[in-house]
Amino acid sequence: MATYSSRIEAPAARWALSTRWLTRERAAPVFAGLGFLAVWEFYVRAFLPDFVATPLGIIQAIPTTVASAEFWSDVSITLRAIVEGVVIGSAAGVLVGVAMGRVREINWFLSPYIRTLYALPLVALVPIVILWVGYQPAARLVIVVISVFLPVAVTTADGTRAINKDYLDVGKMFGARTRDVWFGIALPAALPFIVTGIELGFARGITNAIAVEVLASVTGMGMSVFTKSNELNENASLVYVLCLAVFAVTVRSLMVRFRQWLAPWYHR
Amino acid sequence: MAARKESFESRLARFRTVNAWWIRFGCYVLSLLLLFGAWQAFGNSFGVLFVPFTTTMGRLWDMLQNGPLLPGLLVSAKLYGVTLAINIIAGVAIGLALARIKLFSAAFERYIYIIYATPTISLVPFVSVIFGFEFGSRVLVAVLISIFPVLLGTMEGARSIPRQHLDVAAIFGSTEAQLWRDVIVPYVTPFAMSGIKQSIALSMVGTLVAEFFLNPDGVAAVLLQGTTVVDSGWVLAVTIFIAAISVVLVGIGELVERYLVRWRHTAVG
Repeated sequence: MATYSSRIEAPAARWALSTRWLTRERAAPVFAGLGFLAVWEFYVRAFLPDFVATPLGIIQAIPTTVASAEFWSDVSITLRAIVEGVVIGSAAGVLVGVAMGRVREINWFLSPYIRTLYALPLVALVPIVILWVGYQPAARLVIVVISVFLPVAVTTADGTRAINKDYLDVGKMFGARTRDVWFGIALPAALPFIVTGIELGFARGITNAIAVEVLASVTGMGMSVFTKSNELNENASLVYVLCLAVFAVTVRSLMVRFRQWLAPWYHR
Repeated sequence: MAARKESFESRLARFRTVNAWWIRFGCYVLSLLLLFGAWQAFGNSFGVLFVPFTTTMGRLWDMLQNGPLLPGLLVSAKLYGVTLAINIIAGVAIGLALARIKLFSAAFERYIYIIYATPTISLVPFVSVIFGFEFGSRVLVAVLISIFPVLLGTMEGARSIPRQHLDVAAIFGSTEAQLWRDVIVPYVTPFAMSGIKQSIALSMVGTLVAEFFLNPDGVAAVLLQGTTVVDSGWVLAVTIFIAAISVVLVGIGELVERYLVRWRHTAVG
């Protein structure tokens, strides 16, 4: 909810165009976007070599790039690896997280590792994982799994630890066993936290998957962004970037919907 | 008198409560001992790809004494410092502008979210083509990765200032400067601080990504050097070194936030 002070709102209202649908607020993003693209286009044409990407160049490159079989194989390889990693990482993260949230001793035992790894930028783990797993697609999967596992485990632990005491009392009254408390009370109460963890993990997973692809020369979208650029095919490289951005934005909005559907009582 | 026999569960619960501190301490010690023990045993049997714990620590000590680690750290620290400073200054400024200037937010807000969602790492080749591989491009990449918590946190904070606060200030005839000093800055600080706390950790990610992918430099270059010669002791030692620094940075972030946000529970609830 946006609140503005009157001293800023008043002049804005005065300048507003009279036609109702064409307000300054609606026109501004269009002008800003077009202005940015125009500056980009002209700056590159005027001062930089031909191969540097421009907005028009990218639009022209879309049909040829998207028509190639290589593009679709890259997309399917990378996205599949990310989704697989997210599924495995979330499942493991939820299990470990619930155990950590519900049993103090497990939390104490595991938290030195989980917290340290959570603090560590996971890009720093890429070299050692490549060394152990090899210059192979499996390295990418391992990194994505870790990227998702950590935030999910941490948020699940926080969520299941902070359950309303009333829920536990009611559960106990109705004779809930440990298993019921864990998966019948704690887990549903922690759902919004878990989805937040998965969302965080998704974003990190995408970044780290690209990092592995580039550092370990594993085929995929991230690798192609860099190789296309090295081949001075900047426009095609940015088509890939565009595709990654669309994927990331889609995932983000899907996760928001998912959380609303899963936990409609939770507002944030 | 025959006392009822206490059930195992309640005795266990009592034991866990009474000895909580010792159990906690024991858990930490046990977990670290297990890690080092397993690492040592594993390392002794696998050798080349996974050197034992003691060897790794020896290598780390050696690299700190006369290796490339500290010079590399110095290079990284410079990038990190500049990145964090820009994040704090520009992040707060842009965040406030987005919250307080309607037209500015109408024009740019959605683009900021798009840039935020785009994996910055994929923009590295483009940035390098336009701005080169030097310090400036590294800073740009690192900032693009780590500025958003500050920016969005400040924006949300400034937007959630209750209308009454602004109205009261207006009724008492406060000037714009007074409004900022007495209402906006105190209200927004906790939000900005929690963004800065995240940015303290994220700037490290940004620094490493920039160093990995724009002609390796700093600590990241030292790390990659070990991978190219398949020296697991080297790579493990540097990874542990980076992990230790990250833990310290995250700790500093938490301290800073706790110190500056003492009134947050009353302000935000």
